[in-house]
Amino acid sequence: MVVEVQERKAGLADPVSSAVHLRPPARGGLHERFGPSDPDPGLEVSRNPRVARLLRNRKFQFLLILPNQIVFWTVIFVGILGTAVPGLNFGAAITWYVWFCLVFVMMVVVGRAWCAMCPFGGFAEWIQRRALWQRAQRALGLGRKFPAPLARLGFILPVVSFLVLTWIEEFFNIAGPGNPADTSFMVIGIVASALLFFLVFERRTFCRYVCPLTSLIGTVGSMGSVAGFRTKDREVCLSCATKDCMRGGAEGYGCPWYTWPGSADSNLYCGLCSECYKACPEQNVGLFLQKPLTSVVAPKRRRADVAWAIALLWGLVLYQQINATTAYARVDTWLNTHLGVPHYPDPVAYLGLIGVLALATAGVAKVIAVLLARRDVDFARPGSFADRGSRFRAFFVPIAYGLIPVMGADYFARQLPKFFKHSARVVPAVAHIAGFSSAGSPIYATHILTNPWIVNVQVAVIALGTLGALWATWRIASRELVAISRNTLALRVGTLGLVALCGTVAAVLYVAMHAAS
Amino acid sequence: MATTMTITSAVQTGVPHVRVLEDRCAGCQECVVRCPTGALEMDSEHWVAVARDDACVGCRQCVRTCPFSAIEVEGPVLVTPRVEVEPLHPDHLVGDTSEIRPGIGSWDDALAEAQRCLACPDPTCVRGCPAHNDIPRFVAAIRDRDLATAHRVLRRTSVLPDVCSRVCNQAAQCEGACTWSLAGDTPVAIGLLERFVADNSEVPPPVPGPDAGMSVGVVGSGPGAIGAAWELVEAGVSVTVYERDPVPSGLLGWGIPDFTLPERVADRPWRQLGAAGVDLRLGTDVDAERLEQLLCEHDAVIVATGAGAPLRPPIPGADLDGVTDATNFLKTARAALESPMATEQWVAAAGLATSGSGRADRAAPHVLVLGAGNTAMDVARTARRLGLDATCVDWVDERFALARPDELEEARREGVSVRFLRTVVRLEGDGGRVRRAVVARCEQPRADRPPTVVEGAAETVSVDLVVMAMGYRAEPAIANALPGTPVRRQAAGLPDRRWTASGVFANQASAFAHHSPVGTLAYGREVGMHAAALPVRDRLWVVGDALVGPATVVEAMAHGRRAAAAVLGARPSRPGTSDPRQSRRALVCYASQGGRTARAAQAIAEELTDKGLSVRVLPVQRVGPEELAAADIVVVGSWVEGMVVAKVGPARAMRVWLDSLPPRLGGVPVAVFCTYGVHPRSTLTAMASAFERRGARVVATSSLRQGGTKVAAIAFARRILAGVRDAAGQQTAASVGGR
Repeated sequence: MVVEVQERKAGLADPVSSAVHLRPPARGGLHERFGPSDPDPGLEVSRNPRVARLLRNRKFQFLLILPNQIVFWTVIFVGILGTAVPGLNFGAAITWYVWFCLVFVMMVVVGRAWCAMCPFGGFAEWIQRRALWQRAQRALGLGRKFPAPLARLGFILPVVSFLVLTWIEEFFNIAGPGNPADTSFMVIGIVASALLFFLVFERRTFCRYVCPLTSLIGTVGSMGSVAGFRTKDREVCLSCATKDCMRGGAEGYGCPWYTWPGSADSNLYCGLCSECYKACPEQNVGLFLQKPLTSVVAPKRRRADVAWAIALLWGLVLYQQINATTAYARVDTWLNTHLGVPHYPDPVAYLGLIGVLALATAGVAKVIAVLLARRDVDFARPGSFADRGSRFRAFFVPIAYGLIPVMGADYFARQLPKFFKHSARVVPAVAHIAGFSSAGSPIYATHILTNPWIVNVQVAVIALGTLGALWATWRIASRELVAISRNTLALRVGTLGLVALCGTVAAVLYVAMHAAS
Repeated sequence: MATTMTITSAVQTGVPHVRVLEDRCAGCQECVVRCPTGALEMDSEHWVAVARDDACVGCRQCVRTCPFSAIEVEGPVLVTPRVEVEPLHPDHLVGDTSEIRPGIGSWDDALAEAQRCLACPDPTCVRGCPAHNDIPRFVAAIRDRDLATAHRVLRRTSVLPDVCSRVCNQAAQCEGACTWSLAGDTPVAIGLLERFVADNSEVPPPVPGPDAGMSVGVVGSGPGAIGAAWELVEAGVSVTVYERDPVPSGLLGWGIPDFTLPERVADRPWRQLGAAGVDLRLGTDVDAERLEQLLCEHDAVIVATGAGAPLRPPIPGADLDGVTDATNFLKTARAALESPMATEQWVAAAGLATSGSGRADRAAPHVLVLGAGNTAMDVARTARRLGLDATCVDWVDERFALARPDELEEARREGVSVRFLRTVVRLEGDGGRVRRAVVARCEQPRADRPPTVVEGAAETVSVDLVVMAMGYRAEPAIANALPGTPVRRQAAGLPDRRWTASGVFANQASAFAHHSPVGTLAYGREVGMHAAALPVRDRLWVVGDALVGPATVVEAMAHGRRAAAAVLGARPSRPGTSDPRQSRRALVCYASQGGRTARAAQAIAEELTDKGLSVRVLPVQRVGPEELAAADIVVVGSWVEGMVVAKVGPARAMRVWLDSLPPRLGGVPVAVFCTYGVHPRSTLTAMASAFERRGARVVATSSLRQGGTKVAAIAFARRILAGVRDAAGQQTAASVGGR
């Protein structure tokens, strides 16, 4: 080995730096990998000095969380202590008539906006950090890593927790809404779970791996027009030797979501908390906008756990629609009688039908793969559950991503009846806290839209979602599936036909549901 | 010289297996750029790290450096056995002062050990070494059989490779921070390899540089003084060293026995420095008053007086005859071991002769050493060589002992009785001479809790001599004249992110390092290194134990080098010099939010540059002690934070930075400005007082509305230069008047 000895220089130069010789980072394929998903520099909103000042302010996220924190602690107390009439109880009314619908609007437009202001994770994070907004140095809790076998499942665990929570909601008629106290207990349960996870594990392990909403917000949010916090210049990130955005710096914590702005290719795991923006000593992180659906279409790395999450979430929303039809009511009664379940939803039918619908969606992708995959391509690739390759996955995963807009639209449409029929009740519910209102109040019975119009809006939402899904599927297929298919026309027909079928089924079911809540 | 190989690793089978958690891997490549063997590379399609097990050696560097904990490594650490060198054990200990610890005896062993070094891209051993020796490079030079190059590499950071390789506690420093050690295995024998270089090729002497026209006085002649004098004389500075003792080397001479550090090695630096022209004035005591005179005689003074004042706990009976301290014992014992006759004379003078003492039943007089640290071991082992029985008592649990484990083991093999969880509560005597010690038992379940005495469990031990070896402190006579000392070697706030990224803070309980948190200790030492670069007063630097309290030889040497570099950079001149050197280097630092303060800083910097100064402009987040030490003028600006009337003051970033400033800034001229929208209120006062508390001179202040105009910035820059000139003039007048 040839030793190159630098001549000694008298001075205060850091002798450690001269002994550090990091290997050059890999730069091959950067443009191909990130080019399609990198946001336009012109869409960096943090170039605006006021926005930059806001994002750099450590109270930014605290001030987002604080109002929600107040609302949800009010929900907890009013739900338990207030009236038992759901429509007059602020806790039940705000949660089920307004909040769930607004969350969907936020995720479709912004992405993980709710995660940035979530009072559940926010509360637990305040305790974990022992600070409301300050950059504290010592965390409270055990700081454990989430077990790797569970972490490898990615979005599967949160989907399971979402299915379980939804079943609990339906079984106990919490979201009906039924007894408002049940809503309070559910919220307390979520806060307690979040707190437990924040105190046992590091960062936002709960939000990334467990939170019932994270898979839904992550997938549906990828339609949003906020790309999240991304690198301004990837070369600066690659040559950065400290990665303050990941480890935490003087001004900001390391990314709580395990995301590196230098390699983020979608808004899937950007919690919009702005910590990386604050932490970067080079000011090389920016908040970017993007065209709608970019995070659905553009990412090159697609993950099987996300695809299965989409299929299962699609199965769940279809199940809920089917359940709301009078035709299924007879089947449900028969099942409950024979399975000994007191009332809807019996867990066998719940999980069975969701599973069947998810597998049916995957089955169509399987058929497309079997019939159309090129025989001269080796699809096998070793890897974890999320990343290993096979012929089926090569088609199923991109096709599932293409279904995100119709699935998201379906969830949104599902919330509309409650919003249009009952959201006005929030006003008397607020007044009722002070003892001024009753169910006899005229506004209590006000419906923003009538049932036929609600159905029209639902069908329109589904149509819009289907159009978005058709466009996304076309783009995804062009980039990822045409090259591995034997027949492009058949591929187009198969993939777009699946989207159209999904949209049609959802729309028909909404017509059949007659705006049922 | 006996050299043996011992297997330190467990039986190793199979290969390591690296698992990358793809879900969490963000493709940041922190592992890829730091993997010593190149076993990690990028999957460009999925942009995650992938590992080749066949290239992995199991060092776990990737695990320690991954920001998201996305890598796991299973399986063995594939490292070859370390070359171990067994210490020698003289058959007849009495009077034997030969070196106990041999070095590596052959090139084959040296090469085998050098091959164990992974040459890590981000070498944690370098951070663990207090001097920051470029260990991978000098080890690579050994692999090339090129000792001259190895010396040149070491010389960049050390002038005492022969000394440090013998006296350093490598397990808590470089070797404890070796990647093998952090992985839980046996580190490269860095100390032995450094010694191999020094033992087999003479340490090159200092080469005096051309006359720099500067005179520096150095007080003391220990390792701190050696480091400073070496750098200065090589830069052509006229160096005068003032040493209180009749022989130079300080602690190296009297404090470390010959069997650990032979006299020929300890004397080497001053032989070479003397030959290079350093004016060594022995027997010259320097107190606070004399220090002021030295500041008038020299352009700068570096105080390296060490911490030689022994601590004497207030034990009843401590004033009896036969009770002494380690300093006195070691100094007199060194002379006593020069010949059997001198030994006999010392024993008689100490009142330890068995004949006529009425203690003929005892084979040898008994020395009780209070303490069981490294100094106590030196005392006890020296006592054994004087033919005495020796017992060390220390109230800490052995698990938390301060002594080096190898030192402890060697002492026990030489017959020293070391008793932990014991403390002397009373000394008793007959006829004014100590005869008995009452020793109580203690308990210490946890390292972070002080031991407690167990009531009713005392025993009485017969003693003939008691030596207190419970630590030192700086000489109070001069310490009072050194403001801001001692500096606590404890880093506050967020560590330097480069240190965190290296992974040196991970695995804080490495078995080899005897559960020392090597990274935290190393980073704490950096506080002392930074402080050494900054003067405590105008033209007065303090290094080594005098700066930070009792520390290590290598730290003191590194402090000395650092202070010398700061002196060379600052080029101060004593008052009354006919051609006083002008301040040439300015540092303009700022905390800016929207860019106005940054622009104002830039405008000020441009004007200072036009006036002939060398100017650096940096945001405060990038300004550390090194940047401050390299500046003759510091200009600091902040935007004004607050809500018109409430909490108006310097920006948070500025406040954090001001709080993190070193305790002393040594009279450096500072100018302060702020940019404001409505009213700055007390912003300037707050900033200025932060500097004045640290001994800096605030020469100009200015508040610039809306960032100010170019004209205002230029005017401020001119006021700064005028303020610096005025301050220099006042100082000169004060000094002349004082004389």
